[in-house]
Amino acid sequence: MKDQIQSTQAEALAQIEAISDFRTLEEARVGILGKQGTLTKLSAGMRDVPKEDKAEVGQLLNAARQSITIALEAKKDALQAEADAEALSGIDPTLPSRSVHHGSLHPLTLIRKEATDILRRMGFALADGPEIEDEFHCFDALNTPEDHPARNEKDTFYFNSGKLLRTHTSSVQIRTMESEAPPIRIIAPGSAYRRDEIDATHLSVFNQLEGLYVDADVSLGDLKGTLEYFFHEMFGSETEVRFRPHFFPFTEPSFEIDVKLHAKGQAPKWIEVAGCGMVDPAVFEQVGMSRKDDAYSPDRVTGFAFGMGLDRLAMIRWAIKDIRLLIENDARFLGQFA
Amino acid sequence: MNVSLNWLSQHLDLKGKTPEELDALLTFAGVEVEGIELRGVPSEKIVVAEIKEAVQHPDADKLKVTQVDAGEGALRQIVCGAKNYKVGDKVPCCLPGADLGGFVIGETKMRGVESKGMLAAASEIGLTDEEDGLMILPEESEVGKPVKELFDHDVLLEVEVTPNRPDLLSHYGMARELATLLEVPLAKLDIPESTSAATAEGIRLEAIDSCPLYTAVRIDGVKVTDSPTWLKQRLEGIGLRPINNIVDITNFVLHELGQPLHAFDAAKVTGDLVIRSAANGETFNALDEASYALESEDCVISDSSGAALALGGVMGGLDSGVTESTTDIILESAYFTPSRIRRTSRRTALSSDSSYRFERGVDPAGVETASNLAIKLILELAGGSVGESMKAGEAPVLTKPVRLDLARLDQLTGSSIAHDEAGEILQRLGLAPNKDGSWCVPSYRADLQRHIDLVEEIVRVKGLDTIPSRLRGTYVPSSSIDKDYDADMRLRDRLAGLGFHECQTIKLISDDQLADALPLKPLRDGDTIRVSLPLSEDHAVLRPSLVPGLIASAERNIRQGAESLRLFELGRFFRNAGGGKATDLEAESLAILISGEVQPGGWDTPERTADLYDLKAIVQALVPNEPVQLVPRDRTGFVLGADVMAAGQNVGSFAMVSPTRQRELDSTSPIYVADLDLAKLRKLSVVARQIDELPQFPGSSRDAAIEAPAELAAAEIDKAIGKIKEPLLVGFHCFDLFRDPRGEKLSSDRKSIAYRLVYRSPERTLKTKEVDLAHQAILKELREKLPISFR
Repeated sequence: MKDQIQSTQAEALAQIEAISDFRTLEEARVGILGKQGTLTKLSAGMRDVPKEDKAEVGQLLNAARQSITIALEAKKDALQAEADAEALSGIDPTLPSRSVHHGSLHPLTLIRKEATDILRRMGFALADGPEIEDEFHCFDALNTPEDHPARNEKDTFYFNSGKLLRTHTSSVQIRTMESEAPPIRIIAPGSAYRRDEIDATHLSVFNQLEGLYVDADVSLGDLKGTLEYFFHEMFGSETEVRFRPHFFPFTEPSFEIDVKLHAKGQAPKWIEVAGCGMVDPAVFEQVGMSRKDDAYSPDRVTGFAFGMGLDRLAMIRWAIKDIRLLIENDARFLGQFA
Repeated sequence: MNVSLNWLSQHLDLKGKTPEELDALLTFAGVEVEGIELRGVPSEKIVVAEIKEAVQHPDADKLKVTQVDAGEGALRQIVCGAKNYKVGDKVPCCLPGADLGGFVIGETKMRGVESKGMLAAASEIGLTDEEDGLMILPEESEVGKPVKELFDHDVLLEVEVTPNRPDLLSHYGMARELATLLEVPLAKLDIPESTSAATAEGIRLEAIDSCPLYTAVRIDGVKVTDSPTWLKQRLEGIGLRPINNIVDITNFVLHELGQPLHAFDAAKVTGDLVIRSAANGETFNALDEASYALESEDCVISDSSGAALALGGVMGGLDSGVTESTTDIILESAYFTPSRIRRTSRRTALSSDSSYRFERGVDPAGVETASNLAIKLILELAGGSVGESMKAGEAPVLTKPVRLDLARLDQLTGSSIAHDEAGEILQRLGLAPNKDGSWCVPSYRADLQRHIDLVEEIVRVKGLDTIPSRLRGTYVPSSSIDKDYDADMRLRDRLAGLGFHECQTIKLISDDQLADALPLKPLRDGDTIRVSLPLSEDHAVLRPSLVPGLIASAERNIRQGAESLRLFELGRFFRNAGGGKATDLEAESLAILISGEVQPGGWDTPERTADLYDLKAIVQALVPNEPVQLVPRDRTGFVLGADVMAAGQNVGSFAMVSPTRQRELDSTSPIYVADLDLAKLRKLSVVARQIDELPQFPGSSRDAAIEAPAELAAAEIDKAIGKIKEPLLVGFHCFDLFRDPRGEKLSSDRKSIAYRLVYRSPERTLKTKEVDLAHQAILKELREKLPISFR
């Protein structure tokens, strides 16, 4: 009996060792450990084993079953590992990928988002106004004299109704002050229109971002601090920012803002990026007349306003030389922003 | 405006100031310097050399080999092609290293012969000379001396003066500003006072609104001739062409003091000078040889005969000006009202150095000073005798005392500017303190009218640099526009994630493009909004839909060979609410265009072309929680037109570009477009506040193989299933469609459409029998309501 057990075990282990596929392995398991299996049959012989040998034979049988089970499991794992390896063997990772479409946001959206994110972090809320404007909101309320060059059919798109396409987003300043009491702290990205022939540096429809902060005690220091912070975030904290005195009808004092850009292979250059200034008291007076109250009386509030061309910022950011690329929507251009 | 540093130096000491320093100074004073041009010999390494020998080049007929003495001890050999010199002449010699504006002279070999430098023509070293060939220098020129020292050199600043500062539109004005900024003295002008009291005799001033002050003086017996060199150089230095001494003097005074003058040939003037409004339709022949139709808002200078001699403040007449044969002149100096000049200049499109200054505003107190300077120069350079001064009207007083509110100055500047210093700055700018604490403003600074104008001056001169930055903000709540912006960004990001390129198209489109519009509501006549004076017919109408722009973008990319088009744009559209009679509306929409490969082919992937269901899927992806339905509606110019329905509302238009239009666009694939109402999408794209509980028990599904007439829309089946009140039914969808156009397996007018219905109870696991019963009940009800059978 003991010999029989040992030889059956040895045969079984040898048989398992030689197996090379899952089906044969399963057949072998049934052939050895199944109901009619060689080891199962041998176990049935326990009845005939003398009582004094039962313990020893029983141990031998258990040991045989255990070793065979382990061998079967090990073989199964080995075969699985082989199959897994086989499944991966033909793959050439250097073949090109499958194609998916890469979408993109328009560079103007990207630059507007960047600017808007910075300013909203600084507590500016978004505001908006109509693009079909009237002369009051676009010019009169912004202290622009009646014979100012911009108020001209050659420079501005008018409609037969006498309305016009706003020439700047500054009209949103007036719209907002008319409807909201101070303090206000707003930005208004949007389109503006000028009767310029479209060429490499001009669009008749372009994009601006307007900002306005009005409260008691808004100072030149606030204007400077806010815009310095903004352009440091936009162009890098080391970027030099300078304020050049300038003239706009609706702010006084007025400044143009330059940043010093360091383009690779070029001498650093001052680039004009925005206009700004303290809201002219005449603008507050117009708003007061429109509101019929003194919430914006120049004696009670001061404020600063700023405006910048988003198209221009995009051109600076990505070295876009021809502004028309921004409206032609050539997929070879747009795809570069994917 | 061009400013010559040599000219400026007549008024203040600019020694030791580099052009770059002046650039920075002016820039920070609010005057933009757009260019700096160096005039004159550009390099110290261009020296006087004497030609000692010149022999024929052995290998070149047209060249000579010269030996020159450039004062270096030894002679220098230079090959030269000029012919106009002789041995012994003194010429400019560019030594190696001389930089001729980017071109640096070196030692070289010309046709095998060494040449150590270059002998130069005048034009090659920044000078002018009538002669061709080498510049022959005066015999007494010292050999070795830099040529630069023999000639004038100058720096020309091209500046842009803002409209509020007309006082800077002259060399004296600019010098006055620089003297303030540099804190150096300004030279006093040497201009005699008027000798005789002026009378109004000889002038009839009628158009007093256009011309509040008119002065004139007659000078007889002048000799009209070329100007002397100094005057020519002044004018040429700023880019003006000298004409004759009288005209040059008026131009000189304009650029010196900023006051435009005009000289009439007295022989062409009959009787008095009459300053009057033009008659409507009056014709004026200007000295630019064009004729202009005038209106009553224009001001003309005429004489007793009635003929217009000049368009006041803008331009002289063709026949009344000073010529070589003129012997007596009448010199005009006047103040014209800025708004009048601006209107005339704009309407006639006639602009001159005079109108440029008058429309910005000249110094009313400078009218007579300028005249006196001109008279002095005319007597010096053209002789003659001065007649009586004529003067009509009064110089308008445009300035008034202005108060500086120191408390408000402190508020605005964070108290960073001492009050004493603020006062000093104002005084340097020519303001004078009055006893009552207000400030007296000089006549040339009419832009200083209010407290804030004085603050501006102080800050400008002091510089914003000195005011400390402050960073703080008042809390303001986010607005509804903030929320819309955020929703729009989510939609944009989602579409970009789905492989679409965001476009930005121009909002003004052509009439032709209107045919491509797919507006949310159909357009009626008069609904589109047209600008009254378009730049071109390509950009004449405000877009009533974003689709025309996307189709134009698609066309561009198709012609570029793009195989797949996936484009979108978010933005405003414009239309009238009622055929041009109601209000103009501005609203926002999202347009999407898809065409061509939706699944690009790869090494083991077949390509697939986009169809209607691809665009429908994209629309669905924007509102994942609301099933999207397309309800057919005809759209002019399109096929497969439909309203896009979601959450029970019409959220936009959907269509395929008509095959005819597709062929016009050279597209080989169908083009699908949608224009969606952004206001509605924003709301629908917001995630519901409260979530659905996750199901606790498994569901079971049953399929229904429906055979139906081919024309029965899936939406009809959806609607019928949706109406059935079976509490266990939690979802259903179509998963297969079969049609057999040949009629072999299924009659060609029938279709087989398969639905999967999902059943679940929130309380327990359903038994098979329960599910079967519910499913059978549903099938029965469908069979009763629809012309269908089950297979």
